[in-house]
Amino acid sequence: MVEIALETRNITKIFPETVANKDISFKLKKGEIHALLGENGAGKTTLMNILYGIYMPTSGEIFINDQKVIIRSPLDAIKLGIGMIHQHFMLVETLSVLENIILGLKEYGFVINKKTVKEKLKEIESLYSLQTDPNVKVWQTTVGEQQRIEIIKVLFRGANILILDEPTAVLTPQETQSLFKILKKMKDDGKSIIFITHKLEEVMQIADIITVLRRGKVVKTLPKYKTTKSELAQLMVGEAQDCNYLRKKRETNEIILSINKLIVYSDKGTKSLKGIDLDVKRGEILGIAGISGNGQKELVQTIAGLKKVAEGKIIFNGLDITNKHPRFISRLGINYIPADRLAMGVAPNLSGIDNAIMRRYYRFPLSKNGVMNYIKALAYTKMMAKAYKIKLDNPFAPIKLLSGGNMQKLILAREILENPKLLIASYPTRGLDIASTQFFRQKLIEIANKGKAVILLSEDLDEILSLSDRIAVMYEGSIVGILKAEKADKNTIGLMMTGAST
Amino acid sequence: MLYFEKRQSVPQRFKVVIPIISLLIGLIIGAIAVAIVGINPLDVYGGILSNAFGSWYAFSETLVAATPLILITAGLIVVFKMNIWNIGAYGQYIMGAIFSSYFALFASNGLSKPIMLSVMVTASMVGGAIWALIPTLLKIFWEVNEVITTLLLNYIALYILKFLMYGPWKNPTSYGFPLSKTFPQNAILPILFNGTRLTIGIIFALIAVLIIWFLIKKSKFGYEIRVIGDNPLAARYAGISVNRDIIIGMAISGALAGLAGMTEVSGIVHYLQVKIGADYGYTAIIVAWIAYLDPLVTILASTLFGGLASGGYSLQITMRVSYGIVGLIESITLFSLVGAQIFLNYKLRWKNGSS
Repeated sequence: MVEIALETRNITKIFPETVANKDISFKLKKGEIHALLGENGAGKTTLMNILYGIYMPTSGEIFINDQKVIIRSPLDAIKLGIGMIHQHFMLVETLSVLENIILGLKEYGFVINKKTVKEKLKEIESLYSLQTDPNVKVWQTTVGEQQRIEIIKVLFRGANILILDEPTAVLTPQETQSLFKILKKMKDDGKSIIFITHKLEEVMQIADIITVLRRGKVVKTLPKYKTTKSELAQLMVGEAQDCNYLRKKRETNEIILSINKLIVYSDKGTKSLKGIDLDVKRGEILGIAGISGNGQKELVQTIAGLKKVAEGKIIFNGLDITNKHPRFISRLGINYIPADRLAMGVAPNLSGIDNAIMRRYYRFPLSKNGVMNYIKALAYTKMMAKAYKIKLDNPFAPIKLLSGGNMQKLILAREILENPKLLIASYPTRGLDIASTQFFRQKLIEIANKGKAVILLSEDLDEILSLSDRIAVMYEGSIVGILKAEKADKNTIGLMMTGAST
Repeated sequence: MLYFEKRQSVPQRFKVVIPIISLLIGLIIGAIAVAIVGINPLDVYGGILSNAFGSWYAFSETLVAATPLILITAGLIVVFKMNIWNIGAYGQYIMGAIFSSYFALFASNGLSKPIMLSVMVTASMVGGAIWALIPTLLKIFWEVNEVITTLLLNYIALYILKFLMYGPWKNPTSYGFPLSKTFPQNAILPILFNGTRLTIGIIFALIAVLIIWFLIKKSKFGYEIRVIGDNPLAARYAGISVNRDIIIGMAISGALAGLAGMTEVSGIVHYLQVKIGADYGYTAIIVAWIAYLDPLVTILASTLFGGLASGGYSLQITMRVSYGIVGLIESITLFSLVGAQIFLNYKLRWKNGSS
């Protein structure tokens, strides 16, 4: 007999302005990986927050092991054996791995009994081959390790039902594969897993059952062996998609940005860039590939003026912009789409207007002699929302109420509307649905076609390969090689990402 | 089971209703406390009310107490909005008083009143601003936490004042009391209405509120401090000079606290002394919060607290109630006002069933 670990019946969640979930019913069996697939704003995250006790449903019922339950708080959820791994990790960076794992648990005494903790930890680690060093501080670990710590944390609390919210968004291909291995082991051990994603590839690889959500409703639940990627894509968006980008031959040899022997130190005092030399040409999209944490972020932040150059020079259009103020650099026409939208891209509690005008609030007509013109600001915001299809019903509401994809669209629109001469786009389509991804990729190509330049960072090698003219691969703070796109393939790049030079 | 649920959005009317209800609850708890001591709470409240708002003179005294509160709070709002915690208004207030007193005591010869007062106003603002900039620079260049430095500088300011009052600036004819000579006539703020102690200091306060309101709601600087307060990284990314704005904000905050010190010594006390009502610097922090960091609401909140202070103070004279009782009521009211702010962002819900 197959047991049902978790079931929802007609879950509905109404927010003041939107219906996020409508009559959602689905069943999670024991020892099953159940993918929740849907575009941004389809209601995946809302549903998971309901299961984890962060929101209360407006109506509907939840059953765990055939028992009706009411989950009022994450504490209730943990007691019921539900563990959640958030997209943004919930770790205390200054504490050690071990301290993070037992954070909030009372049974290990006022003075923590480290020996019992370590024994239990070892048991979990060997069971699922999750390796960590319990004594290392979390800030010293990589993103992939941090995710493992999160997983150990929920297993440590005895979770039988694991919810993973877009777990691969921050992982490299290799890290993703090792995560999948862990998930499979947990499944074999009888744990039930809900896997939230919008990546079809991963669904086909890992899921047993797939439930597709669209606009807050269940479109269909179907077993993996009975479906295909294209069917799923159609269910998600309701229409077929094609993947052709209009590209022109646009090779030039005119250098717009030239980086010479750039050395930058990280906050921790180690060298994060070890003498980078790089030229960006007018009219090209230069892709930068690399496993996260190998200096890509530091490189682009340094160009944008957000990190201090220790040695070396950055020349833009013949002008030395080394260690210049970020405002000076952006006014020259270098715009930057940050990798982490919540940490840097927006001021989450401020309105849509305040966030939309961040790049031009100081210029006429939005401000004059130090006085703001908020009427013009509102008009500008509305124009932006319309032109870039941002779902911004109330421009005065805090931007954090938007879905991640809409927030990302606003950031992209804000930077693109500055008409940059050089656009640095890190992870530009992260969290975007298929239609918007197409739209913004097209925009990047247009910028390059107009004789401007784009630096593209992406976690998605396919994205880099399909858009870039040249691809620079970074490893441990250096560029190991630059490939022409037509000569590059995933294997070569993947090898270079691990340090092998060509 | 009773539990809190986070609100998705805060209805505007709550911002009015919640403080009123919590004020009433505070007063009821205060009444119980007063009753336990054996005093009729109605007498006490009636006394405070009539001593604070009961007559024109009483009300003018309330405004006298509200003046420094409004000035200090208006300045604090600017930095609080940036998440910079200036706990040092107390010290900045004292430095403002000292700087302006210097000119009143030692450089007043032959100057006309408007010039003399302008000099004193400027000096007080410079003094307060300098005192606020010391912790600001420490914060910017060495990342020293401003909560601690601004707080510690309060004590240093107080000891500088004590040193002056017991030492070089002491009035030789004060029989050992730690106070300075009385200010000359040209260094005293003009009274606004005869028969009251209300000076043009209240006009300074209202002008300050208007300027701060404009700065926050309408100016480019106001936009920048909103972004800095919400996400300093995003502010840097947007090209905002975060450090420059923090310096400007702290200078404004310190200058207004300093000006409050000047209105007190030049308008009310007329000499410098160790006790110059410096509690204002701390009360203003709470007033700023209760006013939701809104400069216009500050006027209301400061008047309320001014009323409590002046009404309570008169109460001990008219009813011979210990000022401790008034302090108790004041603290309980404050406690419930601040505590009730949780209901702005959360709602209390009741749900049956177990989990």
